[in-house]
Amino acid sequence: MFKVGVGHSNDPNSLEAINETLEQCIRALDGLVPQAGILFTAIDFDHALILQRIHETFPNIELIGGTTDGEVSSVLEFQQDSLTLMLFCSDEVEILASVGKNISQNPVEISRQSIAATKQQLTLPIKFCIALTESLTTSTVSVLKGIELGLGNIPIFGGATADQWQYQQTYQFYKTEVLSDAVVTLLFAGNIAFSYGIASGWRPIGKRSSITKVDKNIIYEIDHKPALDFYHYYLNINEPDAVYPLAVFPPNETTFFLRGAIAYDKSIGSITMSGDIPPNSIVQITDTSIEDVIEASKTSFLKAKISYEGASPQAAIFFSCAWRRMILGTKANEEYKAIASLFPIFTSCGFYTYGEIAPLSANGKPFFHNTTFVTLLIGNQ
Amino acid sequence: MEDENYISKIKQLEKENRILQKKLERSECDRAKLEDTNRNKESLLKQVICGLQEYQAILEKKSDDLETTLKDLSLMQNQLVEVKKMAALGGLVAGVAHEINTPVGTSITLASTLADETRSLLSLVASGNLKKSSLSHYLEIASEVSSLILSNLKRAGELVHSFKQVAVDQSSSEKRDFRVKEYIEEVILSISPQLKYSLCKVFVTGNQSTHIYSYPGALAQVITNLVNNSITHAYLPNKAGDINIDIQQNRAQVIIQYSDDGIGIDQQIFDRIFEPFFTTAREKGGTGLGLHITYNLVTQKLQGSIKCESKTNKGTVFILALPISINS
Repeated sequence: MFKVGVGHSNDPNSLEAINETLEQCIRALDGLVPQAGILFTAIDFDHALILQRIHETFPNIELIGGTTDGEVSSVLEFQQDSLTLMLFCSDEVEILASVGKNISQNPVEISRQSIAATKQQLTLPIKFCIALTESLTTSTVSVLKGIELGLGNIPIFGGATADQWQYQQTYQFYKTEVLSDAVVTLLFAGNIAFSYGIASGWRPIGKRSSITKVDKNIIYEIDHKPALDFYHYYLNINEPDAVYPLAVFPPNETTFFLRGAIAYDKSIGSITMSGDIPPNSIVQITDTSIEDVIEASKTSFLKAKISYEGASPQAAIFFSCAWRRMILGTKANEEYKAIASLFPIFTSCGFYTYGEIAPLSANGKPFFHNTTFVTLLIGNQ
Repeated sequence: MEDENYISKIKQLEKENRILQKKLERSECDRAKLEDTNRNKESLLKQVICGLQEYQAILEKKSDDLETTLKDLSLMQNQLVEVKKMAALGGLVAGVAHEINTPVGTSITLASTLADETRSLLSLVASGNLKKSSLSHYLEIASEVSSLILSNLKRAGELVHSFKQVAVDQSSSEKRDFRVKEYIEEVILSISPQLKYSLCKVFVTGNQSTHIYSYPGALAQVITNLVNNSITHAYLPNKAGDINIDIQQNRAQVIIQYSDDGIGIDQQIFDRIFEPFFTTAREKGGTGLGLHITYNLVTQKLQGSIKCESKTNKGTVFILALPISINS
């Protein structure tokens, strides 16, 4: 038996908000004690207080979480400045939380060690992993690589924590600890079914240009000119805008993946991207519309629904890109509503991220996405 | 109880107030961000449109260049056709000169011989020394030379006649409606004296009722030339052969398939068979005009097409496609 409960409050008062959320969860779980949970909160809550309250209510809970650029759940739908908590109960599923701290010091190794130690404690076969990671202090691609090394060939889902476009500091939660520069994970093992779907909705637009100088995820030159000139040409601003990621066509490939700018160096005109770019790739700026964004979210959900192998999924967890929310503007709730219209009686929660984690369907390897909507469905096997 | 209700209501209102305040703050913040996003989007779209306009200008220029190139090419093609025509005319004149030169040159030599002999005879007559033997000698020479001159001039005359036929539009026959198979059978009958000297037999098969509105004289000339061509070139001496002429109608066309079972045409000369003055039998009196005339008659006078297929030691096939009614 696998049971999921969700609570969601948009009360700006931290204590009121967590109390309200916990009440909702307890009602939903009908007296069952949860083993584990995931918490998504806005940046300006008293996070330590919130974690403390959860721990007081459920002392042994395996809890992870992080700050967001927006929260979503089946209780209050899309919200900003809210907190949402999803709790899991099962006597057939093992769920363990783990943490890797100060990951910027050695992202691959610290991530690997954190997950490998927890993996050892599991007695049932591991099914999948949910990872929430820092994105401002280190390369999320390296963090993912570390988790992959520690886990082996296990699907990883999740996202990079956010801070409402301030790009100052994001937080990750592990049990009662509020951390930065960390990666937290929940490992699911045993009798649990899951499926996932991803979609974006961004399309290349404008001229095709060549990456003429690149080192891993730092683009120095596009068409033999400083990389920043490329954004300046299109947006008439002296910095890249993450809402307009680059479509990257690796050499001799006709399909593209998206890479957003996470930093730049004005003095040399370079742009640091959210992931590595193969040399000699073709790039195009991209654009999308509200309709395309919403349509892609539905596609992501339907892909997950179609590939679900259990009887019926009990819950959905969403990881949607903060840039999607920026495009949606005041219509951000329509992304959730479009999905809810497809499957109304769903327990769900999710958050708007600085980067999404899900396997690339082609090879199943974990991949760090941008501008993507990830649906993860879970339930009894 | 009432107090509790009030407290609960106040709590609820306080919560709502907190939420609304936060939403207001958020709304201001989001509005600024959305304005930035919109400004960037506007800039992006402007640049993309500029890019498209640039590409359009480039494409328009390319299109203009291509059009100019096409015009130039078309002009060059016309010039090339003219040059080829002139070259063909030059070749034709050279060919005519070469062919006529032999009999005319021989005739001149013979005529000057006759003139010399006549002068000698006249001087003998004037001096009163004319002997019977001298007169007999002169008469003998005169008879032989005049006969040779006659045959050479006849040859020249025949050549001129052939050349005239190269200019197809001088063909004398008129347009009329006629049954193709029946007419070809008559043509074959008319050249039966020539066929008698060869061991070839000609068979005419196919659709009896097919008739066309065209130039029968031109068709007769075509069939005669093809048969002569087979007799002259396709069969080794004392070799028998069958020539088959099959007539079929295909919609608005009459297809005449002419085939012989001779030695075929050597691949090396196959591409040149319709060229004027191209012959492999000049020593047998061939002028190299037969198939050239045939080609001109079919494509111009009869407004049709002719193609040839040949296999060594299997034979040669000419396929003529003629319109059942030609334009005036």
